[in-house]
Amino acid sequence: MPTPETPAAQDSAAPSRGPAHPAGAPAPAGRRRGRRSAGARPSPALFVPACAAALLAVLPLLYLAVRALERGPAHAWDIVADERTAALLGRSLALTAAVVPACLVLGVSLAWLTVRTALPGARAWSVLVTLPLAVPSYVAAFAWLSAAPGLAGFTGAALALTLVSFPYVYLPVSAALRGTDPAQEEVSRSLGHGPLRTFLRVTLPQLRPAAAGGGLLVALYVLSDFGAVSLMRYDTFTRGIYTSYRASFDRTPAAALSAVLVIMTVALVAAESRTRGRARHSRTGRGTARPAAPAVLGRLRLPALAWCGTVVAVAVAFPLGTLGYWLAVGSSATWDPTTLTDTALTTLGVAAAGAALTTLLALPVGVIAARHRGRAAHLLEQAAYAGHALPGITVALSLVFFAVRYARPLYQELPLLVCAYAVLFLPVAVAATRAAVVQAPPVLEDVARSLGRSPLGALREVTVPLAAPGIAAGAALTFVVCMKELPATLLLRPTGMDTLATRLWTETGAGSFAAAAPYAAALILLAAVPSYLLGRHRT
Amino acid sequence: MTDLQITAVRKAYGAGTTVLDGLHLTVPGGSLAAVLGPSGCGKTTLLRIVAGFLRADAGSVTLGGRTLTAPGVHLPPERRRIGIVPQEGALFPHLSVARNVAFGLTGLDRAARRRRADEMLDLVGLSGYGNRMPHELSGGQQQRVALARALAPEPQLVLLDEPFNALDSALRAGVRADVRAALQATGATAVLVTHDQQEALSTADLVAVVRNGRVAQCAAPQDVYHRPADPWVAAFVGDAVIVSGTAAKDEATTPLGRVALAAPPSGLREGLVLLRPEQLRLTDAAADARGTVTDVRFYGHDAMVTVAVDGMDAPVDVRVPGPAPVRPGGRTGVRVTGEGTLHPVPHVRH
Amino acid sequence: MRRPLARSLTALAAATLLIPALGACSDEPAGLVIYSGRNENLVGPLIEKLEDSLNTRVEVRYGDSAELSAQLLEEGDETEAGLFLSQDAGALGALSKEGRLAPLPSSTLDEVAPSHRSAAGDWVGVSGRVRVLAYNPDKAATPPDSVHDLVKPEWKGKVGYAPTNASFQAFVTGMRVLEGDDATRTWLKGLKANKPKAYEKNDEVLRAVDEGEVSLGLLNHYYWFAKAAEEGEDKIKARIHFLPEGDPGGLVNVAGVGKLKGADKKQSEYAQKAVDFLLSAESQKHFADETKEYPLAAGVKAANGLPPLDSLQPPKIDLGRLDSLKETLAMLQDVGMV
Repeated sequence: MPTPETPAAQDSAAPSRGPAHPAGAPAPAGRRRGRRSAGARPSPALFVPACAAALLAVLPLLYLAVRALERGPAHAWDIVADERTAALLGRSLALTAAVVPACLVLGVSLAWLTVRTALPGARAWSVLVTLPLAVPSYVAAFAWLSAAPGLAGFTGAALALTLVSFPYVYLPVSAALRGTDPAQEEVSRSLGHGPLRTFLRVTLPQLRPAAAGGGLLVALYVLSDFGAVSLMRYDTFTRGIYTSYRASFDRTPAAALSAVLVIMTVALVAAESRTRGRARHSRTGRGTARPAAPAVLGRLRLPALAWCGTVVAVAVAFPLGTLGYWLAVGSSATWDPTTLTDTALTTLGVAAAGAALTTLLALPVGVIAARHRGRAAHLLEQAAYAGHALPGITVALSLVFFAVRYARPLYQELPLLVCAYAVLFLPVAVAATRAAVVQAPPVLEDVARSLGRSPLGALREVTVPLAAPGIAAGAALTFVVCMKELPATLLLRPTGMDTLATRLWTETGAGSFAAAAPYAAALILLAAVPSYLLGRHRT
Repeated sequence: MTDLQITAVRKAYGAGTTVLDGLHLTVPGGSLAAVLGPSGCGKTTLLRIVAGFLRADAGSVTLGGRTLTAPGVHLPPERRRIGIVPQEGALFPHLSVARNVAFGLTGLDRAARRRRADEMLDLVGLSGYGNRMPHELSGGQQQRVALARALAPEPQLVLLDEPFNALDSALRAGVRADVRAALQATGATAVLVTHDQQEALSTADLVAVVRNGRVAQCAAPQDVYHRPADPWVAAFVGDAVIVSGTAAKDEATTPLGRVALAAPPSGLREGLVLLRPEQLRLTDAAADARGTVTDVRFYGHDAMVTVAVDGMDAPVDVRVPGPAPVRPGGRTGVRVTGEGTLHPVPHVRH
Repeated sequence: MRRPLARSLTALAAATLLIPALGACSDEPAGLVIYSGRNENLVGPLIEKLEDSLNTRVEVRYGDSAELSAQLLEEGDETEAGLFLSQDAGALGALSKEGRLAPLPSSTLDEVAPSHRSAAGDWVGVSGRVRVLAYNPDKAATPPDSVHDLVKPEWKGKVGYAPTNASFQAFVTGMRVLEGDDATRTWLKGLKANKPKAYEKNDEVLRAVDEGEVSLGLLNHYYWFAKAAEEGEDKIKARIHFLPEGDPGGLVNVAGVGKLKGADKKQSEYAQKAVDFLLSAESQKHFADETKEYPLAAGVKAANGLPPLDSLQPPKIDLGRLDSLKETLAMLQDVGMV
């Protein structure tokens, strides 16, 4: 992108003395070019579908409003103001406060090691460290619990959640690391800063938007998780919501508590976008940066390898090993390969449809978030995120509520389940799309416009193809999370349909872990394929 | 003819940051105009308004009689028939060179598109490069492809946004000449935005110097250089020697001696006389002005000698051909050749 | 560089094409749709028999009992389901309270003892489970006869339980109904002070007892039979003890079934037949043999090794009152167990 402020082009052939600008040359504050100015409105062809996506994403909030206020605002307030609510909130936040920094440390350190250093087998590591994405949190929690029952509680919940969600930080940060200009680090070194100081003062600040985006997804994941916290018996907000359904069969308190979760989400999203706003100009987007020379690890080589190895061992090898153990010891492992294959195909089908719809809906929202500023753009993105911390059961019940009233023919049919995936995972795809579009220089859209393309045409022919790898990465990520989804799938699947996750739930519910193991293994292995592609992405 | 007519264009970003302040500019059809100004003068904003990427707050833009921008009128960029060549070319990295060039050719069949793309590549001297990808080209080649891409749909106007900025100086002159030749070959009207005075003077038929969102002077390159509208323009488009002077008829008396005045002023008596360093000569003979050499800078084709003239506050620059005959500390005489221009003394700045 | 992702997108698109194939499996419309909170592995074989018996296709949506009841409440009259098969009485009670269950004919109700069915006459229990004390003979030669003994110092650190599990919570609710909130709270505090070991599920409690991690465990009787079936009775060390004389620890809870309002006439008929089928000798025998639960109707005897239900002297309690789980949870939270 053009940076007119750069005084670089003092033509050396011109025998001019000193600065070309005479003293007193007026220099009104320069405007960055290329970015859309605040006034530029998104085209309706983009804005309308984006609004449709946002509307779908806020459906659960409308439902919550209906249910929470069913018995009057005073009743809802009593539930929210209960000291137990505050306690649950505190516990949820404590868990988030433990998991997010842990994921940041894991994600950033692994990203740096695999992208910027001469780590032996860096490419293989970069694939391996994305594989934990494929492990459902309830499988990870169960594996840990069966190995070390003493972990139950805060420690176990934090451990299991960290180990399944750190790739949410690893992926964007490693992409950002590849995009940063090594020249800046070289300048820092030449100014007398050591490698560590350079990393902390120059590299890390540039990674902040990527890390914050990843951290936000981790935070929302932790807030919405039920599987791991329930197995680890750590009482969180989500567990409070489930308990409300299970113990009192009462939807009002569950809705009131969910509304609190939404408010928390909005606050987190706002905090994240503040980080992003300040760091907006850190990327100049001047073509492709020269790839950095990998840092030589020297004496740190073995510790670095040990670090990567440990993470992969505990996050990937350990749950897989546990599944293998169940398979080996159980006598109930009389599983039927045909059922397994059918279930796997079904899972692939619905997850693919979920990923496709989610990506499609995320596209206009992500493009607007990347290219436009102003209240409307901000609101759209907020809306996409608002329901992301809600537990699956709440989202599912809200779709039940709307579907039986307004879309009865779709109820408990595949399209509704696919919509539920889109509502649940829209932010995952929006974040990926936005990041990818931001990296496609807007000047290319200008050129396409000048060559006769409409705004939408320019988007279709230039920006989307350029952002395609990033958008596809988002689709792959969505695909993985759709495959693992359980609570909404249970309620909204066509009657009689099974996914690997529901089968796994059935088998573990009957206590037959050996019978569950093949489904868990199939789930992890199938989800590992897109995770593998994500890990290889741009390497 | 496809004259570009920019009338009273105004643009402000928020309160208090007026970027274009009623700017007027006329570019005759078929000519290449340079919009020259320092960073932040509004020249890029002007280009984006002409291209249609930005809306003007007021004023109008017409091209060959078509209104592009006017109060209540905003033709979208894709319908303006204006080609742009951005900084660094901005080729589509996912398309081959030929497909980049053919991008704007709609309504033609595949063979015709390919033919036209080849024609344009030929025009910019890159025949046979059609199947390469942009990253396989050098910076200068990319820039020429960007021009071919802009010219391919036969636009009425081509806008070049500091297109030679990213090129190293050795390459720059060559690419500049190629671009000029290609533009002339197609007869397109062109506007080149730049902050590089050498580029503007050497490339354009017409130079518009922009300051504070207005055109300070718009004239042929030699007129802008030799008859600048004011001391600021003089200093911006090249090295200037500014001395105070008192006019009488078509001459001015200055600390450097008598100076003939171009376009003798009407009624102005006291003012600043503008000269170029190459109008000054070092002389051993008795001269009206003498001084001490304070600095000598050698550029190969010529040299610049700074002389602190006795009785003057500021030193003056003298451009001498070949090796300088003086050394710092030496005494020398200075005399003036050719004509200067007389300007009023600015109220605040000097 | 971009190839693998382009390929993965293609694969994604190709996989989407599988979707129509998935929909194709429901060719023949189902005569009866059941929402089942009971695990597919437990009732699946019975459903197949039900299909034969009804001579129509039966579709089952499996889920968590409470979540399904929330879903049924959301669906209201729009529900596709004709029958709700619940893991416990509480979820049925919640639907009954909201008027979502259709009344059952007295001929059906009379099949089951009044203590194992709804007082409102809109659901019946189909199988029963008994809370028992599992013990490891190596660690506890003679297990205590009452849960009240578990607060004694001799069992300090030796009791395993699953405080977050619905079955434990139902037992505590039963204790509150039988002995009052104050007595229950005192007992819970005493138990907590005795440092019992908490597990997530009953089968983990049983595993802990079996491996000697704890000496005693509070759980449902059939977990032991399931484990014995999976691993062989001679391979497991743990044994179970039925608590005598109306001890609250010996609560009998039921899995039950109710017909849903909102189903059309045809489906209602199927649903009624299905209820009767579940109470038939064939089904009751299935529960006795396969899930090792107590049959509740048709005079079917419990599985070998199980003492007869009427010999158990369980506490006398109205199962409909087990829906005050919320207060139980509050109490468990106060005590610090969950």
